[in-house]
Amino acid sequence: MFKELNPLLHSELRLAVMSILIGVEHADFVYLRKQTDATAGNLSVQIDKLSSAGYIEVEKTFRGKMPCTTCRVTPVGVAAFEEYVAALQSYIKRV
Amino acid sequence: MENKKLNEQQSLELITRMINTTRERVERNAGMPFVIMGYLTTFVSIAVWTALTLTANYHWQYMWFVIPAGGLGYWLWRRNKEQQKEVMTYVDRIVGYVWNTLGVVGFVLSMYSIFVRIPILFIIILLMGLGTALTGLITRFHFCTVAGLLSALILAPLCLFVTNIDSILIFAAVFVVMMVIPGHILNYKSNRQQ
Repeated sequence: MFKELNPLLHSELRLAVMSILIGVEHADFVYLRKQTDATAGNLSVQIDKLSSAGYIEVEKTFRGKMPCTTCRVTPVGVAAFEEYVAALQSYIKRV
Repeated sequence: MENKKLNEQQSLELITRMINTTRERVERNAGMPFVIMGYLTTFVSIAVWTALTLTANYHWQYMWFVIPAGGLGYWLWRRNKEQQKEVMTYVDRIVGYVWNTLGVVGFVLSMYSIFVRIPILFIIILLMGLGTALTGLITRFHFCTVAGLLSALILAPLCLFVTNIDSILIFAAVFVVMMVIPGHILNYKSNRQQ
């Protein structure tokens, strides 16, 4: 039996955000937008979904007068990501 | 990038691409800490040597304090800049820890050398050479690794053999090899990648 892929991670933008955050300590919204080339609105919605699931922590601060949103992956997010990659590998091996 | 579903192969490719992009990210002017601390140490060393040679007044040795004062000022400025960075990687944090530790150890040992006779120039080159080599290994900038190891293992002992005031000139020259040149090369490479 194939293990079901986590639907929260099995979408392009959310997976890209998680893949970036897994390799860094933290990244801000501007950096994530540059790397993913997504629109601000769409990225914001996907970040909220990941945050609601407890996969990432979002901190809203100010950099001078500019608002700044910083994201970092949580241990729950790391575990989910590892599980997702393992499931992907099992799919690919079977095909 | 949109929110479309991917097949398994595309998902793995996306993960690999994003992780690689982040890992290969190099800041503009990444070698600036090396350049600033390298020039500062070289110029202060030459100034101390010149003053001591011309006047034979040991009070000029207090000029060495310009290096930790400059280093502390630069550290505070960088810490403020880092809070404004778009992304902080594990590599940034580890390199920071290495230099903070070596900086404090180097400063404390320099203070000891005021009261106890120890080969402080040799020790400082050894510490900073190891820091440069470790930075090169962590960031995979091999020129830095080679310059650091060369300085720590081959050039540092020269300060043990030359025991007169000219050891200060060797100290200055080693900082050019160990920090100034790798710093400029790193700046050139990082700016070309942008």
